[in-house]
Amino acid sequence: MYRTAASRVRALKGHAGSRALTRFASSSAVATSSSSSGGLFSWLIGDKSKTLPPLDFPLPNVALPPALPDYVEPSKVKITTLSNGVKIASETSANPAASIGLYVDCGSIYETPISFGATHLLERMAFKSTINRSHLRVIREVEAIGGNVTASASREQMGYTFDALKTYVPEMVELLIDSVRNPAFLDWEVSEQLEKVKAEIGEVSNNPQGLLLEALHSAGYSGALANPLLAPESAINRLDSTILEEFVALNYTAPRMVLAASGVEHEELLSVAEPLLSDLPSVPCPEEPKSVYVGGDYRCQADSGKTHFALAFEVPGGWHKEKEAMTLTVLQMLMGGGGSFSAGGPGKGMYSRLYLRVLNTYPQIQAFSAFNSIYNNTGLFGIQATTGSDFVSKAIDIAAKELVAVATPGQVDQVQLDRAKQSTKTAVLMNLESRMVASEDIGRQILTYGERKSVDHFLKAVDEVTLKDIASIAQKLLSSPLTMASYGDVIFVPSYENVSSKFQSK
Amino acid sequence: MTWHIKPLCHVISPQLSSLQIVVSSSSSQLLSLAAPSRKLPHFPAMAIRRLLNLSGSRSHSAAVTAATSSPPPPPPSSSSSSSSSSTTMIYDRAADTVKSKLKRLETPDSRFLRYTSPHPILADHSAILSSPETRVTTLPNGLRVATESRLPGRAAAVGVWIDSGSRFESDATNGVAHFLERMVFKGTEKRPARVLVEEIGSMGGHLSACTSREHTAYCAEVMDENVPKALDLLSDMLQHSCFREDQMEHERDLILQQIKEAEGPSKEIIFDHLHATAFQYTPLGRTVLGPAKNIKTIHKSHIKDYISAHCAAHRMVISAAGAVKHEDIVEQVKKTFTKLSANPSVTSQLVAEKPAVFTGSEVRIIDDDLPLAQFAVAFKGASWTDPDSIALMIIKLMLGSWNKNAGGGKHMGSQLVQRVAINEIAECMTAFNTNYKDAGLFGVYAVAKPDCLDDLAYAIMLEISKLPYLVSEEDVTRARNQLKSSLLLHINGLSHVVEDIGRQLLTYGRRIPLAELFARIDAVDANTVKRVANRFIFDRDIAIAALGPIQGLPDYNWFRRRTYLLRY
Repeated sequence: MYRTAASRVRALKGHAGSRALTRFASSSAVATSSSSSGGLFSWLIGDKSKTLPPLDFPLPNVALPPALPDYVEPSKVKITTLSNGVKIASETSANPAASIGLYVDCGSIYETPISFGATHLLERMAFKSTINRSHLRVIREVEAIGGNVTASASREQMGYTFDALKTYVPEMVELLIDSVRNPAFLDWEVSEQLEKVKAEIGEVSNNPQGLLLEALHSAGYSGALANPLLAPESAINRLDSTILEEFVALNYTAPRMVLAASGVEHEELLSVAEPLLSDLPSVPCPEEPKSVYVGGDYRCQADSGKTHFALAFEVPGGWHKEKEAMTLTVLQMLMGGGGSFSAGGPGKGMYSRLYLRVLNTYPQIQAFSAFNSIYNNTGLFGIQATTGSDFVSKAIDIAAKELVAVATPGQVDQVQLDRAKQSTKTAVLMNLESRMVASEDIGRQILTYGERKSVDHFLKAVDEVTLKDIASIAQKLLSSPLTMASYGDVIFVPSYENVSSKFQSK
Repeated sequence: MTWHIKPLCHVISPQLSSLQIVVSSSSSQLLSLAAPSRKLPHFPAMAIRRLLNLSGSRSHSAAVTAATSSPPPPPPSSSSSSSSSSTTMIYDRAADTVKSKLKRLETPDSRFLRYTSPHPILADHSAILSSPETRVTTLPNGLRVATESRLPGRAAAVGVWIDSGSRFESDATNGVAHFLERMVFKGTEKRPARVLVEEIGSMGGHLSACTSREHTAYCAEVMDENVPKALDLLSDMLQHSCFREDQMEHERDLILQQIKEAEGPSKEIIFDHLHATAFQYTPLGRTVLGPAKNIKTIHKSHIKDYISAHCAAHRMVISAAGAVKHEDIVEQVKKTFTKLSANPSVTSQLVAEKPAVFTGSEVRIIDDDLPLAQFAVAFKGASWTDPDSIALMIIKLMLGSWNKNAGGGKHMGSQLVQRVAINEIAECMTAFNTNYKDAGLFGVYAVAKPDCLDDLAYAIMLEISKLPYLVSEEDVTRARNQLKSSLLLHINGLSHVVEDIGRQLLTYGRRIPLAELFARIDAVDANTVKRVANRFIFDRDIAIAALGPIQGLPDYNWFRRRTYLLRY
């Protein structure tokens, strides 16, 4: 939202400095600027603005703080549970910026037929008027410290994050908690956002990948996970501030909230956050709504010369069965894939199985990749692809063959597995270098596991994945019913029974 | 305000008794106007209270709130019809719900308002300005090695930054720098393409590259134990690439495809056109990808010539961050980067030979089939090292950036954003500020529906032309805070650290300490902004690039006239 950085990156990309000339150029710039008046106005009132030396010369009279040592002892994540059940967690870092997030164990799975679409609307209603500050004030406060606020809704968790310089930790915490705890849901703000949600739904066809993922859930599950994450058209007319208020009152309760921070001293965070959170009523957590995986088929005809399709299977267990979740992550890295036209260099999964075996062989396929979405107790794994409409049935054959291949012992060799394991580990470590990812990871892990497991723990779990694990988890996947979804030119997509039989005849 | 209200009260007070009987909507409006004022000393307190109860307006004063929060006593004289109508009619009930909701807003909880303020103030950041040391070693051949160690982590990033890009090509070879970037990944004498890809794969690494007008960068992200391997790979790729004919043909097709795809209406294409017109007949006007006819004819010898001319040791920086040790990196670089070109030409000489000249001009591509028009208006900006470049960054943030879906909407601080958002005259708009070695581009880019273009152009030019005259200290402070934050928030992850080191060493010849950067930002106040705006904006030539259904976009002279305000 306040991502001024993004445009700056663009501005900063590409340039370099030549010392001699730039010095010449800048000294001439100094000459011109000192001779130019500061505008008529300042000339009249006699103000002068000073000129500094060019940027390639150090500025005199600046007190430089001592450099940090190379080795800063990494801090453990400290977790405090308040008496009403709110958890506050933080870790310190040497970074000058801090990222604070408030995560709530509430997502589209908690919606009822009345409140379908509530999470989507809540995501859009984040950081609007609260009962203590107007929307205008919220925005100006964020701008005054130059921070970024974002909200994200998923099927199982809501996340509200604030990213700013460390100096502003009290401000960040205060605004963040107020926005989540005390939203006012003013009617005009709700209806304005509903309009935007409507526009968003209209544009969903621009993102067939997201649409397919949504379709896989609604077709593949019966129960809570089938709830739409993207508000359905019918919900727009029904949703209003009362529904949102009830949904928030029911779900945003103390034991289901975690305040997680990266780059903040625990005591400082606690001293600001505790008074703001400790009076939330302590309500026992409701049982997580159940979902049953049933499998199914979804097709949507749309105008586009291409066909997008996805095949998916269930992996029972989800995050709570850590071993399987990690194996699945490695399996996804192993299969990899991507777009046929990649402008980037290697390292973007170009050595992965789907890349080498599919994309390099069949030019008719535009995109072909493995995906997973893992939840607390279940997960989906499959292949997503985009091809020309006449090649669909062949592409589905290929996808089926690839999935069967990883389930067949002996088809994946140790070298490929080691590569995938190594990529998974590097990806985890690189991502955790980002403070936003770090704070999100703390928050979400505490919501899922009740604790933060160390990185080494996950790296070890990745290391322990064997060829047998890969084959057995792939077999387990394929033994579940198939879910398929297609979008675009779908007339040539083979029938569900036909596709499903490709996996059983194995 | 107060003297405005008082006569109003005098008007009301004679009618006080009648008001109590006839509760007209006009009286409640008068009262809601009066309510915010706390100075009504000559009024009988009780009467006010009752009137306020009748009006039911949202009040701001604490005393009045206490009165309204008690259940409103039914006015004795009000007729039964009026009181019953306030609940029977559906709109009255709707109004009641809204009122009850608004009542919750009357008593903000001071717990939640302790620290924040919507007014930007300068905070003292000295506690967060220390950072790990950046160590720089210059080798005898001029190659610079710079590292920032962050030892506890296990991830690392290594990059090679070259002070050369498409600006140093010629018209005939435009595109060769980008071609080289693509070919570097296609195999070396020791490692065929397949081995190269697998080697990176087995490290679990991630390799990326980018070419721009003035520099080229290669960056690898790996785990700590693989840093030497990654560096070895980078040195091999940069010094011993073999440029096989069949690979070149393959890449040629891909680049041609990429050029074709880049022709659609996008922000990139507008900026390419903007450079082409603003820096016409000078090296910065050329695109990075190059024209298709060049790509078709580029030969191995062109690439080799480019490497020997521009990829010289003294124009390169090896930067590393994360789990790395400076001495180790220096030792390894000494051993592996030995075959670099030693061409003595210095970047600054090359730039001075072919400087970028800004020409006030425009390019318009009318395409009425497109749904949205996009255009960019630019002034000549500051070079990298120009001391005023910081002020331009601040001006850029003061103009702001907005798009339809941004949560900030019409409440954002920038006047331009408010104008655009409130009148809904654009889909998105953003100010930009690009620096080069001897010039820059500074301006506003916007996308809009065709019928909004004239209003949008007016709003943009009005806000730009106000900068040399009318700048509030509060806006500057807000932009300063935003600049400080965005500079630091951007560095998120090791690849950004490596990028920052490489870029700063190439552009400034040093890495500017955070404390100095913040001091420079703090040195910019409203007067500096006015002076800098006067230097870059006031009555200066502009360059315009526009694409789409742009029949409604005002002509060049209209824009040029609005780079200054005449005040009599």
